[in-house]
Amino acid sequence: MKHHPDSNPDRPQSDARRAFLRGVPVLTAAAVLMPAPARAAEGGQHWGMLIDVRKCIGCQACTMSCIQENAVPEGSFRTVVSTYAIKVEGGDQPAGTYVLPRLCNHCDEPPCIPVCPVSATFKRADGVVVVDGDRCVGCAYCVQACPYDARFINHDTGKADKCTFCAHRLEAGLLPACVETCVGGARIFGDLNDADGELRRRMEAAAGELKVLNPGQGTRPNVYYIGLDARFEGKVEGQGTLWRPRAVHG
Amino acid sequence: MNPDIVETVNVAREVAWLPWAVQYFFLIGLSYGAFLVSLPGVVFRRAGWDGISRLALLAALVCGLTAPVALLADLHQPGRFWHFYAYFSPDSWMSWGAFFIPVYLGGLMLYAWLAFRPLLASHAAAGGRLAPLAGWLAFGGHASRNALYGAALLAAIGAVLVALYTGVEVMVVRARPLWHTPLLPLQFFITALAGGIGLTLLFRRFAPVAREGDAAVLRLARALALTQAAVLAVGAVWLGLGLSGLSAVHAEALAQVAPSASWQLTAIWAAGATALTLLLAWKRPGSGLLIGLLALHSAWMMRWTIFIGGQEVPKTGAGFYTYQLPLGPEGLMGIVGTAGLWIFLFVALTTLLPLERLGRPQA
Amino acid sequence: MKIERRELIAAGGLVAFAAGFSQTLGRMVSNFVGEAEAAHNLHGRSAEPEFRVDPVTGEFQPNPAQQVSYTACLGCTTLCGVRVRVDKASGRVLRVAGNPYSPLSTDPHLPMKASVKESFIALSGFQDKGLGGRSTACGRGNAAMDQMSSPFRVLTPMKRVGPRNGGQWAPIPFEQLVKELVEGGDLFGEGHVDGFAALRDLSTPIDPDAPQLGPRVNQVAVLSSVNDGREGFARRFWNQAYGTLNFVGHGSYCGGAYRSGSGALFGDMKKMPHAKPDLANAEFALFIGTAPGNAGNPFKITGAQLAKGRSSGQLDYVVVDPVLTNADNRAAERGRWVPIRPGTDGALVMGMMRWMFDNDRVNTAYLSYPNLTAAEAAGEPSFTTATWLVITEAGHPREGRYLRGSDIGMEIAEDERYKDADPYLALGADGVPVAAATLAAAAALESAGTVDVGGRSVAVQTSFELLRASALKLDIEAYSAICGIPADVISGLADEFSSHGPRACAIAHGGMMAGNGFYNAYSVLTLNALIGSLNRKGGFVMNGGGFKDAGVGPRYDLETFPGQIKPSGTPLGRNVPYEKSAEFARRKAEGKPYPARDSWYPNAPGLGTQFFTGALRGYPYGLKALILWSANPLYGITGLRPLIEKELADPAKLPLIVSVDALINESNAFADYIVPDTMMYESWGWAAPWNGVPTKASTARWPVVEPKAVRAADGRPVSMESFFIALAKAMDLPGFGPQGMADIDGKRLPLECAEDWYLRGGANVAFAGKAPVGDASDEDLSLSGVDRLRPALERTLKPEEWRKVAMLYTRGGRYQPAGEAQDAEHPEWQAQRFKGALWLWNENVATARNSLTGKRSSGCATWMPPAFGDGTPVRDIHGEADWPLLLMSFKSALQNSYSIATRITGLHPDNPVIVHPEDAARLGLSSGQRARIQTPGGSAEGTVIVHEGVMRGVVAVEHGYGHRELGARAHRIGDVSQPQRPDLAAGVNINDLGLPDPTRGGNVVWVDAISGTAVRNGLPARLSPV
Ligand SMILES: Nc1nc2c(c(=O)[nH]1)N[C@H]1C(S)=C(S)[C@@H](COP(=O)(O)OP(=O)(O)OC[C@H]3O[C@@H](n4cnc5c(=O)[nH]c(N)nc54)[C@H](O)[C@@H]3O)O[C@H]1N2
Ligand SMILES: Nc1nc2c(c(=O)[nH]1)N[C@H]1C(S)=C(S)[C@@H](COP(=O)(O)OP(=O)(O)OC[C@H]3O[C@@H](n4cnc5c(=O)[nH]c(N)nc54)[C@H](O)[C@@H]3O)O[C@H]1N2
Ligand code: SF4
Ligand code: SF4
Ligand code: SF4
Ligand code: SF4
Ligand code: SF4
Ligand SMILES: [Mo]
Repeated sequence: MKHHPDSNPDRPQSDARRAFLRGVPVLTAAAVLMPAPARAAEGGQHWGMLIDVRKCIGCQACTMSCIQENAVPEGSFRTVVSTYAIKVEGGDQPAGTYVLPRLCNHCDEPPCIPVCPVSATFKRADGVVVVDGDRCVGCAYCVQACPYDARFINHDTGKADKCTFCAHRLEAGLLPACVETCVGGARIFGDLNDADGELRRRMEAAAGELKVLNPGQGTRPNVYYIGLDARFEGKVEGQGTLWRPRAVHG
Repeated sequence: MNPDIVETVNVAREVAWLPWAVQYFFLIGLSYGAFLVSLPGVVFRRAGWDGISRLALLAALVCGLTAPVALLADLHQPGRFWHFYAYFSPDSWMSWGAFFIPVYLGGLMLYAWLAFRPLLASHAAAGGRLAPLAGWLAFGGHASRNALYGAALLAAIGAVLVALYTGVEVMVVRARPLWHTPLLPLQFFITALAGGIGLTLLFRRFAPVAREGDAAVLRLARALALTQAAVLAVGAVWLGLGLSGLSAVHAEALAQVAPSASWQLTAIWAAGATALTLLLAWKRPGSGLLIGLLALHSAWMMRWTIFIGGQEVPKTGAGFYTYQLPLGPEGLMGIVGTAGLWIFLFVALTTLLPLERLGRPQA
Repeated sequence: MKIERRELIAAGGLVAFAAGFSQTLGRMVSNFVGEAEAAHNLHGRSAEPEFRVDPVTGEFQPNPAQQVSYTACLGCTTLCGVRVRVDKASGRVLRVAGNPYSPLSTDPHLPMKASVKESFIALSGFQDKGLGGRSTACGRGNAAMDQMSSPFRVLTPMKRVGPRNGGQWAPIPFEQLVKELVEGGDLFGEGHVDGFAALRDLSTPIDPDAPQLGPRVNQVAVLSSVNDGREGFARRFWNQAYGTLNFVGHGSYCGGAYRSGSGALFGDMKKMPHAKPDLANAEFALFIGTAPGNAGNPFKITGAQLAKGRSSGQLDYVVVDPVLTNADNRAAERGRWVPIRPGTDGALVMGMMRWMFDNDRVNTAYLSYPNLTAAEAAGEPSFTTATWLVITEAGHPREGRYLRGSDIGMEIAEDERYKDADPYLALGADGVPVAAATLAAAAALESAGTVDVGGRSVAVQTSFELLRASALKLDIEAYSAICGIPADVISGLADEFSSHGPRACAIAHGGMMAGNGFYNAYSVLTLNALIGSLNRKGGFVMNGGGFKDAGVGPRYDLETFPGQIKPSGTPLGRNVPYEKSAEFARRKAEGKPYPARDSWYPNAPGLGTQFFTGALRGYPYGLKALILWSANPLYGITGLRPLIEKELADPAKLPLIVSVDALINESNAFADYIVPDTMMYESWGWAAPWNGVPTKASTARWPVVEPKAVRAADGRPVSMESFFIALAKAMDLPGFGPQGMADIDGKRLPLECAEDWYLRGGANVAFAGKAPVGDASDEDLSLSGVDRLRPALERTLKPEEWRKVAMLYTRGGRYQPAGEAQDAEHPEWQAQRFKGALWLWNENVATARNSLTGKRSSGCATWMPPAFGDGTPVRDIHGEADWPLLLMSFKSALQNSYSIATRITGLHPDNPVIVHPEDAARLGLSSGQRARIQTPGGSAEGTVIVHEGVMRGVVAVEHGYGHRELGARAHRIGDVSQPQRPDLAAGVNINDLGLPDPTRGGNVVWVDAISGTAVRNGLPARLSPV
């Protein structure tokens, strides 16, 4: 897609120079997963998100906006952008930055749901996985069962909490807070059933590169990624952060 | 640890099942373990088991009554416990558990009452402390064997269901490889049994009874040795499956913790403690106090490690989270609180059913 | 006994049980008696949406309980346009996101003619509009709203109790504050303190023997931070009405070295014009000492454009930096991080230049145009001095200066000599020097070596030749050895940089704050001249700038007034030639003009770095009063605190320190008085992008929420504006009060409150340019919350004005349409062009003398090792044997210098000290371990993180931590104590470890010798485990 139309036609792109900039591709290849976007509730909406990791600048605007929008208590997070310094082996630079926005995947086969002893958590027809706050007993079984660490017990409400895709905003015809404020434009949100929508258009354009987190868990996520490095699909093998965010509860 | 990937910004998920949960699983395990020890003497009237089985039954009762309170406390909406019954959810093992617990506890209490009626009556007759209450509770004091069999059967069914659900509830959590191994329920069961035996041995040690029951102690020690051998065997199978890669789930579980120095230490500690208990129980079966404590320690530690340690393994993040026991109700105070309840119940029950009376073989 | 024990045990058990289960019990009870949850059981405590947009019809429905207003963020100096969502009942800010009209937050931004309602719909999910029209606030911008309700805010005027920096304050009424400050007196029981009235002495010289220093009023100095859209007002008071010369911002400890380097290239060392890469259209960008998407101003839009460019494949970029930052993204594969040793950028760049000269990659065609007309005729939108001749004759009185018409005998009036009318010269076609401005086509880049001046031959060279010679001083291997970048990477960079025609750019900023920062920056920026990318689409482009509010505008005169003062004298920062001082005259008379007592910086702007040591050591003079307005020099200036901490606490050395601020920071903790100022969304102002926005833009700041500070007797909230107005009234100063200002017809108008100033400034903005903006509708007013301003608008402005000014407030500013960045006739040229020359050779730099040695330095880009004030290389004094490492800082991607007490800190509560694995192994350090960092200036303890994302031999520290204030220490105000938050003190601030300059007596901070800017990159250091 790169073109240098007018610049120095007498000096064509030299391969050496390309190599200078690009170096060795860093993304380890992983099983390509092409999702079938049309989902249950055919005809209705099925919300989904696409995260283009290449566009993420790790600014945590998403993280902060989610906290403010959803009154997430200190120490808890519905979304976060994990950030890593990774050694680049045999590449053009000794190390690089890798960022990975994480949130609830609103799985189609969500392991968090069957475990709930009171059926407080469920998947809506529009694909959003939610917790019925009137019913939840705060047993945290769903917290254990989610393979993505997407749930937590909200210490202000005493109930299971997680990303709702900002369902309250969707109902008002608005976008999720984290999407609205994504500085890099990495978060694309929309209806997976809308073939003409921006989300599906972008997904189709990136068809070969689409991946989901931890596909081996069979959860069938509705959050897709472009630029997902296989080393970050599941539990990351590496050195953990030195500091734990402060948590106030009790 | 892979030094080539260094996490610079991430968040930790705090432990969601608190020490309360450890206490519950520990106590309910001790209860059904001790319940099993109560059977030879109380139900099957096996020679020499008489006193010790009654002590076991007391242990089952004290632990069984304490356990659900700890479970309740682990809920962040304890006042909504009735939702479990209002919104039965057959897909959830926890939901089933909510029904199994009353089956077991109902059966256990009935069984214990039936078993202890004669003793309560004699306590009342002998004018022991709170004699009128004991007399009232004895409700005649007849030993009704058929009813006892029925109650024991109910409790046994309950115990099996509780053992099953407590194990499987944890095992089904695929998101935690450390929990998600088919051997886990078995491990829970064996250590629960060992703990039940251990607690019985402890009771026995403090029951000021004559030497006459030593044979039973020796038998219990043997049984304990067997459980420890089984723990080691199952552990070896777990490790073998993990190391060989024959079983993917075990391999994954092993891979999660193997690189961690603190986990290695824990594993060595646990294996060492088990081997020591085995050795002592086999070679010096008379050291009831020591092996009893060791067995209890192993049962508790196993659950602490699985629950709290297991939750220290991030599902997505790098490295490990470090759990620090908070001092408040969600931590140390919670542990102390359950212990307090346990002690209160123990004192209350042994006031009516003094250990020496329980432990003394009946004519 | 036995029985009692049983009971005791049982009771103990019960007590423990009760304690352990109290919480459970409480929760059970609260289930029944606790507050009822909000109706929406699925959404927890999420906020109600601010409005609704029907996903099918796009029909819009406001939420009457909330207000959505457009104003500016102050989460960093970018001052983005944001939308603030407020709960009307409580006045609480619910959330902040971007203003879709603002080019600092949106790409492309909405046209002004879109109604407010349309702007809201454009943000919604309707037709996926909100994805394309996404308007954002960054992580800090989202978290910054926490400051509004921070328990650490200053809300009332206060006066210190006990010694300075004691952390104890007494709240005082505003009226008492004004009276005490104006009249002075024995304010603290420590003796008499002069008030502002007495200090405003406009006639008595500070020193009769040195009249150059100016009048005593200069002994009142003001240090502020960034122009947050209110600086014009503050300057009107201090410079024009009160009369002091000394009002500076934070430039000299921000990225001043970069701006001075840019000023050298753009030929103005005082105003320092500068340009930025046109990331939206560039093919290649080279970031040397600025990390796009990690920090930078404008932070957010740069990050957005970088993300877009690297994922669409339009943009390749390289970041040269000692430390890995969020500018890198391993998923994108289109950026590259090149690690470098701090303070060695000049070597890298001169190496690149050498490769370009050697390989014929310098755009000589472009460089050969001697003036703009010739350049434009050849299709170039800018030009350089490459062909201009410089006198290089050793010992010539004008050595280092450009050869001028008068030098070769052109007819120039004596008083015009070497001024504008005296032309610069280049060689015409026949090899004879002619006025460069008159040549219609290319001129020679190579001189003949000499020119004939009145029969005498004088050695000359073109700027081009001088630069080339400078680049050729070392070979690439030698440059490589200095900067630690392999030679093939240097040539690869040069190759890449010069392979995109003008659609490439090299840029710098904070990374230039080294002991040779000026030359490094001048070198980096000169690269752009060599490829001719200035004013080119996709190249090196100028800021669009703001619409002027505080000037002699189309509607009101916000600049001049009767009785205004033109301050004079020597600035406290000594940024004037030493040779014009009384000291020089005296020393010269004594036969030894050099060294001066301390360094002077004739080619620098106002220097906050010199304020404190200058004032406290009385050189060039002491201060009687210092005003700190929202500035934090003690936290921000490298090495300052340890040098002056004690003296600053001593009122005998500096009798009065007054701060105007919304928080207590490390600097105003030393104040005698703190006056509360408005915070972020409470403030007025007209802010303009600092740079990086090619279209014209002015961001409107207005109180979208009621200011929280106490109100004065007149009912107005106390703020910077109300304070200065009250001072002006009390001292009867010109330019304020009932006749304080005027409309453009000269009709006198009151300047008695902030609205008088900012609304009329708004009228100037609204009416600027060819046509004024349109009128705001009633719907615009009500949807944007601007109806709250309506009474003030109508009261203050003329009938034909108020709806136009309201238009600006409803849109959050005035913004030129996005499509107008490029020139209509020449789509490859920028609309906003720098029309002057790019100075490959800067004669002012070349001919200025170091006041300590009398020596001169290079007039063009060059490699020079980091050095102290007298030119002694740092490593000559603090050698590698003792100090094997180099310590530097980089901006936190998340924090700024004052965001510590917001939710963003929860994500990253501390700043680890980054150490390379090889260094760590040698020192026996591993991640998580504590280590002691030592420099010749101090020592501190930090936690180490080890990874490959740092240059070997470098210790990197994220800036924004290591606080002592802003919540890290609980102050006592009256009898109320602030909350204890020791966690906010976590981490290290390398500024506590900065070096004093031993060649300047050891009691001043180390600064770059040309630009006078703080040195925070490349401090000699060592590290050891603790
Ligand atoms: N996230 C965030 N954004 C901000 C701010 C903030 O505090 N946080 N502050 C705002 C302000 S006031 C400003 S001035 C801008 C500044 O924005 P920048 O100038 O881009 O930021 P800095 O971190 O000061 O410096 C840029 C880079 O220079 C590197 N560096 C240090 N020493 C050297 C060196 O010797 N050579 C080279 N080549 N590089 C070196 C640093 O590691 C850093 O990554 O950012 C603005 N935006
Ligand atoms: N080591 C190291 N040192 C650095 C840097 C670095 O990267 N590394 N960065 C440098 C740079 S680029 C800069 S610009 C300087 C910054 O240095 P300064 O401009 O001196 O200070 P800031 O920390 O920006 O502080 C501004 C003060 O304004 C106040 N304030 C905050 N919000 C508001 C508000 O809404 N209203 C009012 N009225 N006041 C408010 C707070 O008290 C805050 O401390 O620091 C420099 N110092
Ligand atoms: S990501 Fe976790 S919480 Fe979300 S739906 Fe999937 S399993 Fe459930
Ligand atoms: S915490 Fe709530 S939602 Fe989760 S499993 Fe328990 S009851 Fe269900
Ligand atoms: S969709 Fe809403 S709830 Fe989910 S992460 Fe984004 S902001 Fe948070
Ligand atoms: S807001 Fe967007 S760019 Fe910023 S961290 Fe989140 S996903 Fe990345
Ligand atoms: S870049 Fe700075 S001004 Fe803009 S939103 Fe972020 S913090 Fe606010
Ligand atoms: Mo700055």
